[in-house]
Amino acid sequence: MNEVRHYVTVFGYYAKLAIQRQLEYPLFLVSWLLMIPTQYFTGIWMLKIIVDRFQPLSGWGFHDLAFLYGLGLLSHGLVVVFFIPTWGTEFAVLRGEFDRLLLRPMNVFFQFVTGYFNFIGLIDLIPGVVIFIYAANLVGFDWGIGNLLKLALVVIGGTLIRASLYTIIGAVAFWTKRSRNLIFMAVATMERTTMYPLTLYPQAIQAVLTFLLPIGFISFYPAEQFLDKSTSLELPLGLAIWTPVVGLIFFALAYAVFRFGLQKYESAGS
Amino acid sequence: MRAYGYFIKMRVLTALAYRFEVWIGMVGDIIMLAASVYIWKAAYGNGVVGSGGFDVGLQNMITYTVISVLLASVFQTGVQNTIYTQVREGNIALDFMRPLPLLGIYLSDDIGSMVSALVNKAIPLIVAAVLLFGFPLPAGAGAFAGFLVSSLFSFVILWLMSAMVGMVAFWVAELGNLGMVKDAVVRVLSGSLVPLWFFPDAVQNVSEWLPFQYTYQTPIGIYIGVTTAGDAVRAICIQGIWVIILGLLLAWIWKHARSKVMVQGG
Repeated sequence: MNEVRHYVTVFGYYAKLAIQRQLEYPLFLVSWLLMIPTQYFTGIWMLKIIVDRFQPLSGWGFHDLAFLYGLGLLSHGLVVVFFIPTWGTEFAVLRGEFDRLLLRPMNVFFQFVTGYFNFIGLIDLIPGVVIFIYAANLVGFDWGIGNLLKLALVVIGGTLIRASLYTIIGAVAFWTKRSRNLIFMAVATMERTTMYPLTLYPQAIQAVLTFLLPIGFISFYPAEQFLDKSTSLELPLGLAIWTPVVGLIFFALAYAVFRFGLQKYESAGS
Repeated sequence: MRAYGYFIKMRVLTALAYRFEVWIGMVGDIIMLAASVYIWKAAYGNGVVGSGGFDVGLQNMITYTVISVLLASVFQTGVQNTIYTQVREGNIALDFMRPLPLLGIYLSDDIGSMVSALVNKAIPLIVAAVLLFGFPLPAGAGAFAGFLVSSLFSFVILWLMSAMVGMVAFWVAELGNLGMVKDAVVRVLSGSLVPLWFFPDAVQNVSEWLPFQYTYQTPIGIYIGVTTAGDAVRAICIQGIWVIILGLLLAWIWKHARSKVMVQGG
């Protein structure tokens, strides 16, 4: 128990440092503050234009699409805030930053991830929250306690699944010294698979994104359930249970891969 | 001229040295391409759907998407980030000491990147697109020729805009990389994702007076034959006018930017 408290204290301290560091140049946030909302609001606008001109996309009208888009964006935002260091594993490996972390009497993965609390990432959450609330009202989302709890579980589970995927892909750098482009590819792919209905894609791809990579659990299957659609994946319990469970299992796997990769870490040359 | 040739060559060689990176990037491009095509397939459904007076069929929209991704992978406008980073880190002072016009050097760099992108990215992308969605044929030989000319203008317009936004750094480096903001706007208003003819009329009317749609939509529209020969000539002329306007504007900004150089740190 004492140890947990110690970790929490350290996290708080790291977060405080990181926020102070990022607020040192507040104007520097301006371009992000303009770019991120532009990117996501226009993204949803594109969907509206397509649906307006054509028809619902495989049974998903604009309201449903916006709901899925917002739900996907929520866990994306949280990952960007809490797990952004995994995107930069390549740099940490190349610069030998794990030397420092390995010498300290604390879990290396914990230090690595909490070492940069990405305050700026909150900007990603702005369009996420706005779009989600807007769409939730459009589809008549029930804001009762039970549903909110389900929502929280789904978002946390979704965040864990994303974090695990980035951890594993980032850890490729322990072997190859390179993983940045793989990360970029994963980020782009995640957008198209968590913010757009999976049923757009062929069955084989849906199967891969469900059983091989549990991306469908992040937001698509939960959204289907929240919207009372006929679910494309039959499971005995609700997704509010499945998403966090899958998240935890995948996270444990990702942690194991990271640990395994760390053994291959050979510090940086001069 | 030989000096610029050297810059181009060095850039090609550097890009080729990171082949693994390039391949990963290409797989990403193909995934995004496929994702967009599936959205169009769902939008069109099984039957033919009329779309705002335009008769653009699904096959044409798939071709549109393929060519758009292809152009995006070939058009290299690194100048934006180059100027931003060089100004921010103070290296711009050293760049100014080079015995060649700086913008010429940056342009050569980007042309070099484009040459390697043609080999490294465009060809594999075309192969992948043919295997997945069939050959993205142009509407005809004339359309293809028009497309090539128009694409050249498109690149110049994109490059001039990028250089201009990069130069904002001379005045306000502390605002961060505004190029990202410009890119986000261009992605939408250029019609690179969704052609502007599907947009609401009000947006279309405004867009005609902005340079953005002349970067992606114009050449691709000519390629798939939505733009008729007469309109194509007119569109290419408008592109030319934009090149002149943006070119003059850039020259003017550049003249003033040079006097704004501030070297940071010691």
